[in-house]
Amino acid sequence: MSTGVAEPEKSQALPERPKELAMHFDSLHQQYNAGKLGVWLFLGQELLFFCGLFTAYAVYRGNHQEMFHYAHYFLDWKLGGLNTVVLLTSSLTAAWSVRAAQLEQRKTLIATLVITFLCAAAFMVVKYIEYSHKIHIGAVWSSHFAVADADLPAALTERYPDIKGEDLQRMGMGTFFAIYFCMTGLHGIHVLVGMGLYIWLIIRAVRGDFNRKYYGAVDFVALYWHIVDIIWIFLFPLLYLIG
Amino acid sequence: MTEATADHAHHDHHDEALPGTIGHVSHWQTLVKVLVTLLALTVITVLVAQVDLGRLNVVGAIGIACVKASIVAMWFMHLRYDKRFNFWILVGSIAFVAWMVGYILFDSALYQDNIREYREAHPLPTRPATPSGDH
Amino acid sequence: MAGGTVEEPSSGDVIHPKVHYLNATKGLKSWLVTLDHKRIAIMYLIAVSVALLLGGFWAVLLRTELLSPGGVGEQANFVLSNDWYNKAFTLHGAIMVFLFIIPGIPASLGNFILPMQLGAKDLALPRINLFSWYLYIMGLIFFLGVLFLGGLDTGWTLYPPLSSGRPVQMSLIFAYTAVFILGFSSILTGLNFIATIHKLRPRGMTMYKMPLFLWALYATSLIQVLATPVIGLTLGLSMIEHVFKVGIFLPQYGGDPVMYQHFFWFYSHPAVYIMVLPAMGVQSELIAVYSRKHVFGYKAIAWSSIAIAAIGFLVWGHHMFVSGQSPTAGIVFSFLTFLVAIPSAIKVFNWVATLYRGSIDFKAPMIYALAFIYLFGIGGLTGLFLASIATNVHLHDTYFVIAHFHMVMVGSVLTAFLGGVHHWWPKLVGRMYNETLARICAVLVFVGFNVTFMPQFVAGTRGMPRRYANYLDEFTIFHQVSTVGAYILGAAVVIQAGYLVHSLFKGKKAPPNPYGGASIEWQSTSPPDFHNFTEEPITTGAYDFENWQYISEDEGYKLKPKVLVTRQSLSEVH
Repeated sequence: MSTGVAEPEKSQALPERPKELAMHFDSLHQQYNAGKLGVWLFLGQELLFFCGLFTAYAVYRGNHQEMFHYAHYFLDWKLGGLNTVVLLTSSLTAAWSVRAAQLEQRKTLIATLVITFLCAAAFMVVKYIEYSHKIHIGAVWSSHFAVADADLPAALTERYPDIKGEDLQRMGMGTFFAIYFCMTGLHGIHVLVGMGLYIWLIIRAVRGDFNRKYYGAVDFVALYWHIVDIIWIFLFPLLYLIG
Repeated sequence: MTEATADHAHHDHHDEALPGTIGHVSHWQTLVKVLVTLLALTVITVLVAQVDLGRLNVVGAIGIACVKASIVAMWFMHLRYDKRFNFWILVGSIAFVAWMVGYILFDSALYQDNIREYREAHPLPTRPATPSGDH
Repeated sequence: MAGGTVEEPSSGDVIHPKVHYLNATKGLKSWLVTLDHKRIAIMYLIAVSVALLLGGFWAVLLRTELLSPGGVGEQANFVLSNDWYNKAFTLHGAIMVFLFIIPGIPASLGNFILPMQLGAKDLALPRINLFSWYLYIMGLIFFLGVLFLGGLDTGWTLYPPLSSGRPVQMSLIFAYTAVFILGFSSILTGLNFIATIHKLRPRGMTMYKMPLFLWALYATSLIQVLATPVIGLTLGLSMIEHVFKVGIFLPQYGGDPVMYQHFFWFYSHPAVYIMVLPAMGVQSELIAVYSRKHVFGYKAIAWSSIAIAAIGFLVWGHHMFVSGQSPTAGIVFSFLTFLVAIPSAIKVFNWVATLYRGSIDFKAPMIYALAFIYLFGIGGLTGLFLASIATNVHLHDTYFVIAHFHMVMVGSVLTAFLGGVHHWWPKLVGRMYNETLARICAVLVFVGFNVTFMPQFVAGTRGMPRRYANYLDEFTIFHQVSTVGAYILGAAVVIQAGYLVHSLFKGKKAPPNPYGGASIEWQSTSPPDFHNFTEEPITTGAYDFENWQYISEDEGYKLKPKVLVTRQSLSEVH
């Protein structure tokens, strides 16, 4: 609550009113609870925002088992698993940053915020490696999907020696990758937004904005970050593991 | 929801909380334990996926993911100690998600025959692939 | 100022404040960066009025084109080419739905009245509120972009493959972007309202003591938060599909277009209740105030709002009876659709029961409220015809459907919006409008509405399909009568804009409570102070009209002395 906006009669506030308290609240506690309720409602809408893609996944998976079976050979569970570990760790540091803000441990707060940011960046690097490989071999969405026989994953050709890239095209493998790129892409956008928010928090933490009664921003961004983590918790097994 | 406590900070049993702190302060040991549990569940889910259990693979993977998500929500997101209404927002949203996914899945299974007919009449086009040159 | 002695209710104290929220700070910038919910509400009111006029412009063009049956080929057309006819109904639908009806009441009147009815100083999240207004304006600009890029002819539903399956078209991308942005504007308003109602209710005001307008807004907000993200995702995906040729909805790339319709209506059916629930909330206030009677069946009206919101999520498939959804799903959705009639009827019966033996005051807002009951009644009951599959297949995509949803959506939302604007106008701007003109216009709106849409019901049952620029000669009379009705309606709205703007400059100064409303917002001055109330408002019953008495010198109502004692005793306790 920092930006100064033209409001008349600033002086009306009583002297003991904390500077962080907006004029329409009675206490910092009320302000914190109102913000938190707003954030939870936002997270609720986030779930419904992703819900459409999960529905698309369920519909195509339910009706095209074979497509998803072949598809999972294209995804490297080791990279996915690595990203899971990275993201879970960042969730720990995000939760820890809330604790540090509550306890007014400024150094710990800045450290945990920075680690969270770095984990998010690491996640995006791994994502970049995965994406560029897929785009390189032509394992992309819908009508653009065209993987040469030589580029088929070794595990797939080992199990099904006769399979050809063209068979996969006809089967509609492009639809799987449409869903894959949309789901992980939308999740990736959320990670990028989270990184932006963490930069904002680091700046504010360095400036010393937060204290035991006013740390809402740290808590709310952490909540957002945890929901991004939760969505990945579902994406990892659904895309990488089960085939 | 064992301890859906409300408004006031229950920091009496956490000696480390500063006087007047708003909200629940999680102990760092709890947070670390939560992470270890989550990592363990990740290993389990990877291991389970290596075994072919047929349809059970999906059930198992989603089941473990639900447990992990609940742990994140309860401890990392403080829902265990938060106002109960925030918990119900989450549950309510999940209910609507389930309704949407469930009903569309149910309906789409029933009209798949139309799609199959259409697809047989209009097969997906194929296009030549260029090898990436990595091999 | 706070506390003070008990005063005899009489004129003499300042009832026209010199400094209020409109002039507390000056300059354009003080408006553009304001966090004051009242100013944001006024900015919303201006923006949605622009949208209403813009959407109405297309409606008048469409109706003018339909004056003549036309013939085969382009040259037979009256004012619009076939191509522009398609663009006109798309723009009319999209602008009216996304820019006027959905944000209309909650973002303008709701934004202003909700905190005031709670006796609060602002919404819980003022920055989010301002942000949502900017998102709305961005959406508006994108829609204007659609217009300048040559229009769009897909129909407001943007069904694939007709929409995203075509070669890349800039105006379509703009339309997707616009709806996506407007969706988030709507979500942010919704979550702000819920947070405000939960966290800023004054001590002593339980949920059951809130005015019914707030219950309606609460139910609306729940739908906004839970349904709107789905349209955001759907149109976002469609945009990606359109540009990158992804096949999730597009059959030519392996997608499933029926799934698009599922997604689209998962939002767009509940969206009908985003439109109509706030209107019902305004309606509950108007009926009670102008009957000067405690609203009948408070809890029934309150919970029927929540019930409508909940059932609204269970019925989306009735838009898809003829579009490829499975027959089983059709039967289930048909059955569930009938359920909506129950809470809707509960509301109507309770409003009528409130009128019974009330001392009815036929002020302009009350005329709108009565029109609402009639139009919503017709619109709602014809909805039952459409809910049963057999009749629906016959009436699908005819003018019967057009007339039905205009009656239920526009008939109720427009009358409630206009009724609400008139009811709260003195509070909003501190001036009185011309009551006689307002009554005439209210009657004209009602007459115009019926003349427009009654013939469409008949034409529809006789087989006149929707979205056709030309038609058979036998439908000529229905179309011509309908067009006359549209002109009456259009004229009434324009006259209204005229006298409302006129009242801003020449209108008589308004007393704090000209109509005797009992909810808290009437305890503030007209227009309200920057902080809404200059002294702590008294939490009295929202429908306890006996607490107020008419003071003829002020030409308005004042709290009775015995109620004011409460404030004094409260301040002594403090």
